Amino acid sequence: MNADSRPPAPPATFDALLARLRAAAPRAAGGDARGAAPGERAVSADSPDAPLPGDHLDLRAVPPDADRVAVFTAAATAVGVTVHRAARQAWVPVVLAVLEKLGARRILLEAADHTAFRAAEAEALAAALRAAGREPLVRPDDDTLFDGVDAAVAGVTAALAETGTLVTATGPQTARGTSLVPPALVALVDPAQIVGDLLEYFADPRLGATLPANVNLITGPSKTADIEGVLVTGVHGPGHVHCVLC
Amino acid sequence: MSVADFREQLAAGTRAARVVAAVHQATWRKVAQREAALAALPHAGALRDRAAQIRAHVVAHLPDYLEQFVAQATARGAQVHFAPDADAAVRLITALAVQRGLRLAVKGKSMTSEEIHLNAALERAGLRVVETDLGEFIVQLDRDRPSHIITPIIHKDRRQVAEALVRELGCRYTEDPTELSLIARRHLREIFRRCDLGITGVNFAVAETGTLVLCTNEGNGRMCVSRPRVHVALLGIEKIIPRLVDLPVLLKLIARSSTGQALGAYTTLITGPKRPDDSDGPAELHIVLLDNGRSTILAGPHREVLRCIRCGACLNACPVYRNVGGHAYASVYPGPIGSVLSPLLDGPSHADLPRASSLCGACLEACPVKIDIPHLLVALRAEHRARRPLSRRIGLRLWAWAMQRPWLYRLGQRVLRRIVRDDGDGFARHGPGPLGLWTAGRDLRRPPARSFRELWHTELRDER
Ligand code: SF4
Repeated sequence: MNADSRPPAPPATFDALLARLRAAAPRAAGGDARGAAPGERAVSADSPDAPLPGDHLDLRAVPPDADRVAVFTAAATAVGVTVHRAARQAWVPVVLAVLEKLGARRILLEAADHTAFRAAEAEALAAALRAAGREPLVRPDDDTLFDGVDAAVAGVTAALAETGTLVTATGPQTARGTSLVPPALVALVDPAQIVGDLLEYFADPRLGATLPANVNLITGPSKTADIEGVLVTGVHGPGHVHCVLC
Repeated sequence: MSVADFREQLAAGTRAARVVAAVHQATWRKVAQREAALAALPHAGALRDRAAQIRAHVVAHLPDYLEQFVAQATARGAQVHFAPDADAAVRLITALAVQRGLRLAVKGKSMTSEEIHLNAALERAGLRVVETDLGEFIVQLDRDRPSHIITPIIHKDRRQVAEALVRELGCRYTEDPTELSLIARRHLREIFRRCDLGITGVNFAVAETGTLVLCTNEGNGRMCVSRPRVHVALLGIEKIIPRLVDLPVLLKLIARSSTGQALGAYTTLITGPKRPDDSDGPAELHIVLLDNGRSTILAGPHREVLRCIRCGACLNACPVYRNVGGHAYASVYPGPIGSVLSPLLDGPSHADLPRASSLCGACLEACPVKIDIPHLLVALRAEHRARRPLSRRIGLRLWAWAMQRPWLYRLGQRVLRRIVRDDGDGFARHGPGPLGLWTAGRDLRRPPARSFRELWHTELRDER
């Protein structure tokens, strides 16, 4: 660090910072039609002063009339999610089969009203699990969550077709750890929850006012390629992600 | 860092053939992945234009958006602090941790925290600090430094990772990347259970809602923002974007540009701390707004660099980075973006970096927000011309003087041809006399047996 080169005093407070930034960019304070500073070349036809478009939906990836289920299934499969289709009445055996294949014995069930996995669905699955000699868990304590859960079953708030993404949100019924700590995640998704892409999802005008503390866009299993670019899944989050469309 | 230091680093960096091979392989792979991902993206060109427009707009209107961000984040329960420089940020975060009696800090990968050298200060204050990104974890075990802003151990191969884990954790030796990752997972999982402070950087901060956005892949970032009772987010003041609707434009480009993924495994939007009826999550969210020279950059002619979203694409694309590796830059931010940012943030100590470029333009072509790095490099070179080493200034003067005297130039060529010895492959690595200064960091092509002039006189002219 060499302070000599800097102007004498960095702004010491947030207000001083704002004042300094305003002095540097009078445009921002309003009105000054100064052109782009040297070194700042115009971006396409737009200058930094041009207003941003109201939304960016003109650039969406999935046309509104596309088969979203098909696009979602292909994209999710490509990022390592196993996608299953089930009839609305017949999802329980599909989920059971998935859990069986995972070898899961203790299964966290997280029901939430705003998802396709509500209290009624959780009860139906819990009964089926008990009948199969498995142990359903609701709101496990920390030690159980880390050591005693083999898989979590939960719903989502939305899914994104273009990227095969599952969207979860925290709230009174949904914890941060559910889709993170157990080694496997099984998500129930209603096909009607699938939107085209990120642009469509974030264009929802209600989103900003209703943001919970955490929204997670989950795209495939937890992964790293830090060692020689070799893909490894299941680093800290779930290594297995299944999606049951029903 | 002085110019001499840079040469030393450069020489050390280029000597390590293993490093060069690792970096070569990884950067070429990443270039191919980025190109494939962008080729498959509908409206890729228009999205880049839009992303550049959004970021340029923010830089031009930063004070308004900063004010809005702080108001919104505060309204949603976050505590926002302002740090004028690195020391202030370090003091602030350390005091925060000490006052609350926090003991075990987990960190997500954050170049901004590297910029302020946070870990050492926290450790001096008695905290244990654990890097949890796999690459950063290895860097920490090796007491090394990251050499890439996205892939910190791009300079290490699996053997070096294995050696670090065996030495520090006492595990069984294996070179299998999956097993190595699982060893790190098991170790860090216990730490995630017990940690009480999470420290992360931020990829984007949304002014409209006071939301922090984190783009990650391993899940360690999510652990850091959900397990501890206190989350401290370190946020460079330029990372703001105006609205939620602007976020997807940048999200569509950032992962494709850095890793070739359409979207990273986890994109986390954090709006305030744990709500009263949430069952888990940090009770306190502290956002440390860091200036550390950014407002000075914004006031100057190079503010375009503040558009950067730190995707790392320009590093992978750069032929200089590929051949010297990140450590040769001896600055927190390496590669083309580092060559612009480091002299601006750190002043004269990095004034030589803008010359570590062939100005080929690959960085501009790769940049998702279209920062004209080559032009910025040329401008920075011009500003620092006076600081060129004396030997180079004299050398260039002599060169210019000789070129204006053909007889002298011809003589010079002949002398050079006699005294420059190559290493058998057409390249001289140890120039004689003052030429040694030049070849300390470069390979000099051996002068051809006959100059163009001679060829012209004896052969070419007759064929006209
Ligand atoms: S300068 Fe552009 S390419 Fe380089 S890291 Fe920043 S955004 Fe990415």
